[in-house]
Amino acid sequence: MLSNPLLEARNLSFSINQNKLFHGLSFELLYGEALHIKGGNGSGKTTLLKILLGITSPRKGHIKWVDNTNTVYLGHKNVLKDYLSVEDNLYLHGINSAKTSTKSILKELNLLNKIDVLVGNLSYGQKKKLALVRVLLNQSEVIVLDEPCVGLDDKTRAYIVDFLNAELSKNKSVIYTSHIPIEINSKKINIDKE
Amino acid sequence: MTDLLKIESFKLRKKLRAWLGPILIFLLIMISFPLTVELASDELKNVFYSILWLSSLLTVMVSLDSIFLEDFDDGTLEHYLILNNSLFSMILIKIFIYWLLIGIPISILGTFFSISTSGDFSSFYIAFPSMLISSYIFINLFALGNSLSLNKGSALGALITMPLLFPVLILLGKIVLNANFGFEISNLLLLMLGVLLIIIVIIPFIISFVVKTHLE
Amino acid sequence: MLKKLYHQFASPKTYVVLVDKIYPIIFYTSLITYVFALIWGLAFAPSDYMQGNSYRIIYMHVPASFLSESLYIAMAIAAAIFLIWKVKLAAYIIKAIAPIGALVAFLALVSGSIWGIPTWGTWWQWDARVTSTLILFIMYLGLISLHSSFTNYEKADKFISVLVLIGSVNIPIIKKSVDWWNTLHQPASITLTDKPSIDPSMLYPLFLSMLGFSGLIICLVILSSKVQIFNREGNKTWVKYHV
Repeated sequence: MLSNPLLEARNLSFSINQNKLFHGLSFELLYGEALHIKGGNGSGKTTLLKILLGITSPRKGHIKWVDNTNTVYLGHKNVLKDYLSVEDNLYLHGINSAKTSTKSILKELNLLNKIDVLVGNLSYGQKKKLALVRVLLNQSEVIVLDEPCVGLDDKTRAYIVDFLNAELSKNKSVIYTSHIPIEINSKKINIDKE
Repeated sequence: MTDLLKIESFKLRKKLRAWLGPILIFLLIMISFPLTVELASDELKNVFYSILWLSSLLTVMVSLDSIFLEDFDDGTLEHYLILNNSLFSMILIKIFIYWLLIGIPISILGTFFSISTSGDFSSFYIAFPSMLISSYIFINLFALGNSLSLNKGSALGALITMPLLFPVLILLGKIVLNANFGFEISNLLLLMLGVLLIIIVIIPFIISFVVKTHLE
Repeated sequence: MLKKLYHQFASPKTYVVLVDKIYPIIFYTSLITYVFALIWGLAFAPSDYMQGNSYRIIYMHVPASFLSESLYIAMAIAAAIFLIWKVKLAAYIIKAIAPIGALVAFLALVSGSIWGIPTWGTWWQWDARVTSTLILFIMYLGLISLHSSFTNYEKADKFISVLVLIGSVNIPIIKKSVDWWNTLHQPASITLTDKPSIDPSMLYPLFLSMLGFSGLIICLVILSSKVQIFNREGNKTWVKYHV
């Protein structure tokens, strides 16, 4: 079972209006493997992630996941409500902030004392960290991250890298894009046009 | 399903301006009409229902202008689609919550206004059921229009929704006409209820297709 | 086999080649027909015993009213084809029809209100059919605004198709319900089911004027759809070759 690829992508192509983004992209992802999608600005990294997540369909080609794969995704949008407190936002994601596991993560990210603060009053980096809490607590087999390290301080970045490495060793898979180097052992595909 | 109900109503309740605001706007419009036309109270009775329908329409228009926009901008819709593979139930419930927190209160307020204007309690039977049903229809249709225009401004949403509302307005006009002549209105109310029952399922389905296209 | 046939007919390239061939035929026959019908209708047909000569505007008003609705039906069919079979050509055609539909609806409204002055004594009445044509006109403009709001044309195509289909369900309902209020408009002169309520001496030129006018509008749609195709597929080699 574990030898089968978790994800197979064959011959993916995408274009917007008449502009081709990428063409004939094929790759696969195994259990416990990390995939780093590289490419310049506007090369279609986010679009490729959306195709892998099933939100967008490719113009050509197809993807195949192993059945019933759970995925957690964190993109450019944080999925946070500005007018709600940190606690209420976690509640919307089904996370109980009173639990010790949650508390320890919040403490690690320096957010525990902000629990009653409205998210609209947090800084960019703090919002990003709060958004990551959802990923850190998730039990999904696949973690998909779009530029996870933008706006994070060194300490948090190191924390995220450690977390991802730990998940990989638990045979979970990670797909990510990042311009900031992340020290995890990953397969790379470059979608820049030749 | 109950989780969704809880979450969606939590989101709307916590955002005071999004649900209390429209109700107050409804009040303001209803109050401002008698101030802008010089009418004897008899004449006011004649145009009262027209004012009532239009105020509820405008209230719904104002309250729904960002029904999906916030969830689109902060990534909630995308997140939900990845988790559940479908947006249908979320949209169905979102629309229901808007009716619960805005549609029903303005129906009650509108009924009070109609009783006090006509000085006759029997207008309850005209105003209350027709406002209850029509506000739900308005909310569905404005949700549809605003899902199409989504992040392109509420004026566009209103422009494409308003023509769809004309039959409902005419039906409402007919109800008042029949009531004034002392005819039966229950058949017209049932017709409107029938329309509601059809669109209550179809519209969220269309909206989820539209929103999915936006997320692509 | 069927798939190949479908691909051929659904391809913008085949469409352009085909349309280029038939365009002159349609254009000249309908131009001649319309001019002929106008001469017949304006100069030779008898005047109406109640409305005098003012009724003669029907040779423009009736075709325009007829087309304002049939163009919408055409869009609805194209929208269904686009959403079900994902034929891009159908989306281009919707986009091509919308402004022409708006134009035709506008013509119907203007000619109607000019006609209204001598016959109804007013240029505007909240009459059922006038109101529903006005709503139709606004709906056309709504479609155009919706499509032009999006930079991603593939998405815009889907949105406009959804709106066209919803509108196509709604327009008959609007017409019926507006009819509910007392109507001032004379009942339609020609329907498919009943015997025409108009004298043959007026009917024949009217019929010809409808044919001619429709043909001319179809020519306009063809030109406009070619503009759409060249805009949207401009980087394909066949377009460069063709232009």
